[in-house]
Amino acid sequence: MSVLIAVNNLCKSFGDKQALSDVSFEVKKGQTVALVGPNGAGKTTLFSILCGYLMPSSGTVSIMGKPLGSPDLFGVVSALPQDATLDPRFSIQKQLNFYGRLQGMSKHTASIETSRVLDLVGLADNHHAKIAELSHGMKKRVCIAQALIGSPKIVFLDEATAGLDPLNAREIRHVIASLSDDITFILSSHDLAELEKLCDHVLYLNQGQLTTHDRDAKQGSNHYVTLTLINDPRNALEQIKQLSGVLHVTQSQNKEYIIEYQSHFEQFDIHLLKYCHKLNWQYRQLVNGHTLENQLFQKDE
Amino acid sequence: MSIFRVWQLAQFELTRLFATKRGLLALGAFAMVWFMIQNYLIAQAVPFLSSPEFADITGQLAGNIGLRELVSWPEAELAIFWIIALYSFPAFSLFVCSDQTVGDRLRGTLRFISLRCTREEILLGRFLGQLIIIAILIFLTVLATFIVMIYRDISLFGSGTLLSISLTVQLTLIVMPFIALMSLLNLVTSSSRLSVVLAILLFTLGNALISYLSYYFSIMSWLLYVYPGVQIVDVAPQNSFSLSDWLLPVAQTLGLLTLSIITFKRRSL
Repeated sequence: MSVLIAVNNLCKSFGDKQALSDVSFEVKKGQTVALVGPNGAGKTTLFSILCGYLMPSSGTVSIMGKPLGSPDLFGVVSALPQDATLDPRFSIQKQLNFYGRLQGMSKHTASIETSRVLDLVGLADNHHAKIAELSHGMKKRVCIAQALIGSPKIVFLDEATAGLDPLNAREIRHVIASLSDDITFILSSHDLAELEKLCDHVLYLNQGQLTTHDRDAKQGSNHYVTLTLINDPRNALEQIKQLSGVLHVTQSQNKEYIIEYQSHFEQFDIHLLKYCHKLNWQYRQLVNGHTLENQLFQKDE
Repeated sequence: MSIFRVWQLAQFELTRLFATKRGLLALGAFAMVWFMIQNYLIAQAVPFLSSPEFADITGQLAGNIGLRELVSWPEAELAIFWIIALYSFPAFSLFVCSDQTVGDRLRGTLRFISLRCTREEILLGRFLGQLIIIAILIFLTVLATFIVMIYRDISLFGSGTLLSISLTVQLTLIVMPFIALMSLLNLVTSSSRLSVVLAILLFTLGNALISYLSYYFSIMSWLLYVYPGVQIVDVAPQNSFSLSDWLLPVAQTLGLLTLSIITFKRRSL
């Protein structure tokens, strides 16, 4: 897979505060990347640098082999910046047409493209609305629509579903999932369940420092599943340990168990579910490997 | 730099004035102010200027303030218009062009635009758009004055046309550095209102300070040439042509735009 984004030794300070400290990573074509971390971890700073809104204090960023701000990246890199909004004096259609024109489209193509992206985010009936007339969720979707104008190869979405109702958030996730074969998305969100569904690569920022996690990577020679039960049977931990093939079990949180099993054990998941059925346990979820939450926050035991 | 993108940005600026309710309202207010000026100032003053009985008095008065040449123009309406426009349009352009980038920057709209064009293009496109708007307004006021003039004396049509074109070009050149100054102030302030306040302080306190310092250190008087409009007093009488008076606003504009681009490239969005 070719490297789309290469970040090397990136640092950013605001006065005495170090927002990003020696951050390096690569994003390859076809990956959908999650950027997670607590508030104030530096996510928006990193996004702002990648989008060219902020200058780094040191370090380099290369996007598709081009430096930041290169005109070659116009229309190729797109973004939903946090808290940015369109001009309230013009209709959303006029502004999206204008963005299309700036990307080099003819008036006719820009108009068709505007209709396409508004349709994509479920706002086909709102062409002539002004941004102030729309609800918070609709404003967000308009901003996502602007990020999809043309044929972007990389799209940065900063808190794309924050503040959206579940239905709208689901629609946005559906749009991202349906386009992820053609577009490399880099998403920041606090919703780990959402990122778990969409992303195969995780960048975890904490206090300006970065760690990366590959969701598909095998963890050592053994395999893991994460079982979440609906109720919490007595001695569940001990009973799971007695299941053949199980090497180690930990309870990550209430009703949730991380089970390490022998790598040569075939169809362990089916074996486990049959065991649950036999013990009359009802399960809520079975995750192949670790949940993203555990991957990021569970201390090794 | 893409001329296409600069032109797109400039065109979009035009729609701010001519295709939004707020812009049309401002245009209506502007038209009403100039209607008053035409009706109560220019129309009332012309009989005095063109009347043989008052010719001596007005000639002496104008001569005292260095405007004898203007009084001798047969196109009296344009002469009065010139003096009013020369001092009002620069101040007017400070207000009209006070929000070139700052509003969009605070709202985050510039973030969408900066993904599609360079910062130089944004700055120059916005400047060009504002310049075209002011040039159109200047042209419309000149045209209105011209119509009033030929209504009085149709024989002035030929000479008045040439003079009208000349005044439009001259006024446009004069306002250019004022618009460029607002481009720069937009980048260092956090609202359009603050940009106007800073511009007023620059033209009052700043000007006074430099004048005071140049009294003691004559070399400081060169700093006055940084100020847009420093040549207005020299060009007002229209009695001679000095190339430096017309190169100065162009040089000031280029200098201010260069400084704006450097500032814009360094600041965060």
